[in-house]
Amino acid sequence: MNDWLFVAPLLILGLGSILMMLVDAFAKEKSELAILSSITMGVAGMISASALLSGAEAADAPEMVTRFLAVDPAALFFDVVICFGGALSALLAGGYLREHGLERGEFYVLLTLTTLGAVVLGRSTDMLSLFVGLETMSLGVYAMVAFRRGSSTAIEGAVKYFLLGSFAAAILLFGSALMYAATGSTSFTGIAAAMGDADPKLVLIGLLLIIAGFGFKVSAVPFHMWTPDAYEGAITPATAFMSVAVKSAAFAVFVRILFVTFGDELSMSLASGWPPVLAGLAALTMVYGNIAAVGQENVKRMLAYSSIAHAGYILVGIVAAFRVGSEAVSAVLFYLLAYTFSNILAFGSLILLGSRGREAVSFNDLRGVGRRHPMAALPFILGTLSLMGFPPTAGFLAKYYVFSAAVQAGGSMILLAILGMLTSAIGAFYYLRVTVFMFMRDPEPGQVKAIPMKSGYVVGALAISSLFVLGLGVMPGDVLEAASRAASLLLG
Amino acid sequence: MEIGLGAYLGLAMVLFGIGASGFLMRRNALIQLMSIEVMLNAVNIVFVAVNRFHPADHVGQIFSFFVIAIAAAEAAVGLALVIALFRIKKTVESDNADTLRH
Amino acid sequence: MFAIYLPVLLLIIVATLVAVGMFTGTSVAGPKNPTPEKMLPYESGSNTTGASHLRQSVKFYLTAILFVVFDIEAVFLYPWSSLFRDLGWFGFVEMLAFLVILGTTLLYAWKKGALEWET
Repeated sequence: MNDWLFVAPLLILGLGSILMMLVDAFAKEKSELAILSSITMGVAGMISASALLSGAEAADAPEMVTRFLAVDPAALFFDVVICFGGALSALLAGGYLREHGLERGEFYVLLTLTTLGAVVLGRSTDMLSLFVGLETMSLGVYAMVAFRRGSSTAIEGAVKYFLLGSFAAAILLFGSALMYAATGSTSFTGIAAAMGDADPKLVLIGLLLIIAGFGFKVSAVPFHMWTPDAYEGAITPATAFMSVAVKSAAFAVFVRILFVTFGDELSMSLASGWPPVLAGLAALTMVYGNIAAVGQENVKRMLAYSSIAHAGYILVGIVAAFRVGSEAVSAVLFYLLAYTFSNILAFGSLILLGSRGREAVSFNDLRGVGRRHPMAALPFILGTLSLMGFPPTAGFLAKYYVFSAAVQAGGSMILLAILGMLTSAIGAFYYLRVTVFMFMRDPEPGQVKAIPMKSGYVVGALAISSLFVLGLGVMPGDVLEAASRAASLLLG
Repeated sequence: MEIGLGAYLGLAMVLFGIGASGFLMRRNALIQLMSIEVMLNAVNIVFVAVNRFHPADHVGQIFSFFVIAIAAAEAAVGLALVIALFRIKKTVESDNADTLRH
Repeated sequence: MFAIYLPVLLLIIVATLVAVGMFTGTSVAGPKNPTPEKMLPYESGSNTTGASHLRQSVKFYLTAILFVVFDIEAVFLYPWSSLFRDLGWFGFVEMLAFLVILGTTLLYAWKKGALEWET
């Protein structure tokens, strides 16, 4: 009985999305799919959260499940991050789509199915489930980016994202095919077990291809080209979802594959392994993401570059883990959770500040809106403070743990930590610039003034996220404990 | 007399290289989509060929089934997006899609 | 090591030589006196009109895509059917679940009007 608990989130998401398809197809009146999908994902997340916090163990989960999907605490932790990201995005969509006259049921079905794919991806322990999860997630996201069919920015962003995303998936897949050729196995542990007799050249090529493929998915520089376009073109709830759940799922499986499959001496060595490659990617990503964000005039594009920069910070944590072990991985887990709520706050209040026909997306749109409607601008400030890493928010602790893990790792990792702190300072500049526009600039004469929309869904999502951003910042105890338990079991 | 695994891997790598260079060099979204399919077929060759040498659980063959099915789904989404692009832009050259330029 | 494939190579070479030889042979030895009628795509047929690259309706596309997506799912039935007896009831229920999901999506596409020809 207890074992069902560990696959229940997947079943709920799957059955929920099928049910929603039927409701969407047959319901005559306007259906409340927003709340339905949000509840589906929220319940899935809460089941995982309670299993995680109660410390339940999957005693003897059937091999049929564990062969492809992890049931360990790390899997549950990622479930929570992904499902909460999805549930909050559904609430944001509930307000946004109705306000902008885009209310079509497909969006919520896509959102739930995409979340299902992300959960499968985050839990995968085999190249096969990795690929199925990855594509279920990606295909859904491509469609969500293209949701506003008539808009050329949406379609262009979606085509670019689709082409580069499928290219990345093919690269990743070829890498795993080469690992299969080298070891005769596709499961993460099976590959690791056969690594000793494998052809080191094949393994190295496979590893590099897999890193490149994940580099695209987590939008690390130099594989980030699609990110700003897709983020700008997509409707804002979809952008929020991409920046939290999709990214978290990609990082989840990336961490698992690096430490379970490529956790051997040779792959972790400084001379011929992944740590120096990832360290280089992390440095490039932090520097480029932060510098490119400065010059942006569109807030969504600025947040896209900021999400690239955050991918860099998370990579620092992952690299640090090759020396410090589980402590750094638990910092990464905590970072992903904190980042989810902070980003939902930023995108959510961007949604709240616009209304039909006058979406607030550029810095100019936001001129003076903070003085006219301070309550609507407040969540944005809280979100960006957390993204900046300002105490007492969750983002501060997350950054603190990641960078202190890097310092502990010593050597050139200290340089990475210093680089991270310096680039975070650049981050403070462009986040605060939005606040300056909101409170200290007057609208240009004749400019259409942004008027916040009224939506209980959006306000609800923002309230929940604010609660978590502050709560995790002030008393992170239980979550940290769960994260460190998850990390130490993941590293085995 | 049997062809070794090396030959299959070589073929797959060449095919993958053709697909990847086609993707990077051509600017027509449809041709880029076809290049991705070529890359996925290179993957399939590896899986099916290796399966012959490690036939324990036939995971290679199963995997290639999944790749085929998912490639079809991917093509469906991709073609739908390309059609949508064509309706707006009257072109499928991805270079002409430049409303979003940094 | 590829010695057993030598006959295949020979066949390819011979076939190429024959084809190239016939083409060069006719173009060198044959008489040429083209008239406008001879240059028509269909000699002694009706004249062709319009462009040869006709735009096809996008409806064909949608139907074809739907066909491909549903058709390809059949690959999962083959391994299942060849192991049907070994898998027993469990395999049967699993496949039933798969088919129910597939059927739901078809129903969804139908209700959403994706199968309507006239829209």
